Amino acid sequence: MSAAPHLVISGVSKRFGAATVLDRVDLTIRRGELVTLLGPSGCGKTTLLRAIAGLAPPDGGTIALAGRDVTHVPPHRRNVGVVFQSYALFPHLTVAGNVAFGLKVRGAPKAEIDRAVERALSLVKLGHLGSRRISALSGGQQQRVALARAIAVEPDVLLFDEALSALDRKLREEMQVELRRLLQEVKATAIFVTHDQDEALTMSDRVAVMNKGRIEQLAEPRELYARPASLFALNFVGLSTRIAGQVVGGSNGTVEVVTPVGRLSARGAFQPGASVIVATRPEQLRLGTGDGANSAAGRVRSVVFQGSRTLVDVDAGAGASLLAELSGREAELPRVHDEVRFAWPVAETFAFAAEAS
Amino acid sequence: MTDAVLPAPIVKAAPDRERLAAFGFVAPSVLIIALVFVLPLALLLGVSVLDPKGGVTVAHYARLLGTPYYLGVIWNSLRLGLLTTLIAFLISYPAAFALARARGALRSILLATLFLPLAASVIVKAFAWTILLRSDGLINTVLIAVGIIEDPIRMIFTQTALIVGAVNIFLPFMVLPIYAVVAQLDGRYAEAAATLGASPLVVFFRVILPLTLPGIIAGVALVFSLSVSAYVVPTLLIGEKYPTLATTIAKAYLLAREPGFGAAAGVVLLAIAIIVVALSAMLSREPK
Repeated sequence: MSAAPHLVISGVSKRFGAATVLDRVDLTIRRGELVTLLGPSGCGKTTLLRAIAGLAPPDGGTIALAGRDVTHVPPHRRNVGVVFQSYALFPHLTVAGNVAFGLKVRGAPKAEIDRAVERALSLVKLGHLGSRRISALSGGQQQRVALARAIAVEPDVLLFDEALSALDRKLREEMQVELRRLLQEVKATAIFVTHDQDEALTMSDRVAVMNKGRIEQLAEPRELYARPASLFALNFVGLSTRIAGQVVGGSNGTVEVVTPVGRLSARGAFQPGASVIVATRPEQLRLGTGDGANSAAGRVRSVVFQGSRTLVDVDAGAGASLLAELSGREAELPRVHDEVRFAWPVAETFAFAAEAS
Repeated sequence: MTDAVLPAPIVKAAPDRERLAAFGFVAPSVLIIALVFVLPLALLLGVSVLDPKGGVTVAHYARLLGTPYYLGVIWNSLRLGLLTTLIAFLISYPAAFALARARGALRSILLATLFLPLAASVIVKAFAWTILLRSDGLINTVLIAVGIIEDPIRMIFTQTALIVGAVNIFLPFMVLPIYAVVAQLDGRYAEAAATLGASPLVVFFRVILPLTLPGIIAGVALVFSLSVSAYVVPTLLIGEKYPTLATTIAKAYLLAREPGFGAAAGVVLLAIAIIVVALSAMLSREPK
């Protein structure tokens, strides 16, 4: 993976009537990078993808792909590959006919087309189905044909618009892992659009969390999970414990917050008196008091066993609740109605401005 | 991921008993179709080759296919059918897209303008055209009044009148089947083709046109079989000087009292319609 910028989106805006769907979005993607645009429906992620593909030109800003300004270049002169949610496979063509389409319309010689089709189909493990009709394929197979069709033209960037969401859960999870391996194998630069956080964390080198037409955070999956930049990013990716409180003091990037469950320390920079939400991830919580750590007590409301982990929901009083994830190695799990105390490290506690979202 | 997660569709052969039961259910429909469609056709075919003096004869067919006059009649029918179909298609194809794109009240109004004329008799519509096109008709009167022309233009009883009237009357049968297909067309096909490098023109010829073919075939089959056998339209809009198979059949039955000859002309007309419709369906298949 080289560091050279491959796709540069700067200040891209898009309005539909009075609604601003994209609000001056900046995003730079390196060659060979797999990036996910993650967000709820209406956050602008699909519109951004369509702007990159040339299907919905932006109202403002520029898009440069492989060193060329393509902002106003029509889609057929861009060299992008798109895998649609509905796949949009041509029903009047065979599997091989679909995969060959891009090369045919570019006027490639027949021998080259045949080679490329064979290669693309074998990459997605459908080498034996070239002469099938599209209607004779399962959903998973259609997904693979759509992928083969998009990679056959060797596009500068591959765009996936909720491409896995039509598959059932088991197939989708297998496809996530396989797709990531395959894209790395062909050294493709790819952008996925999804509202599925698991898909985003599994498939991408970096995740862009989008909200209201803006990118709230762009980070590697681990960092996004461990260091969410906003309350929205925290809520959208993974589970968390969130407690509202008021800042009473602090120093060196740490604030002291008074909350219904007691005084807590958290990472953040706020003036005394500010209303904040203090949050942490459930696996940071441990039974006991902990030394120099945040801690809170309450009564167990529910215990949900999920195999390798157990989720414990604790009523900490005054409307606050704690969510703890305990591993299967824990000696003894609490039971419903037990009085328990949890502790968690200050370094893994974040404070966010309360008025956001 | 292995192929095991993508099981092949299970195809089970129906046992004979199930097939028998299935036939039992369709038997009444088969019977009705046989009585209403097959029997009259068989009678028509029979009458066309039976000699009233006894025996079988091909004299009627020989007269139809061996006389220059009747070959001209056949050509007139074919020409009317082909021209009407072609012009109706050229108008209907873009119209179907416009109809599919239209929203709300506009769409309802456009659909109504297509459907409502179907409720009026073809005789009424043909007469309406004669009123418009006559030498003292609406168009000539207006043109003279405005001063564009001094003497009336001859429009009625011309081939132009015939084709204009036929296209107008049969147009809905072309627009509606194409519209039905276009309205179902997923816009993503065109987008996918564009991202794969197809220019708008290539998208049209390689994707849109093939995907809308079923509607086109249905429209062509309907309009051609209606216009090739039209009787009222040529009778009222052009008359004696453009004899067609349909007007020849009517004359054979009503004036000449030659049911055998009329039946033979009917069989030829039917054969033309079947051949052209089958041909258009075959030609439109995507070449492999």
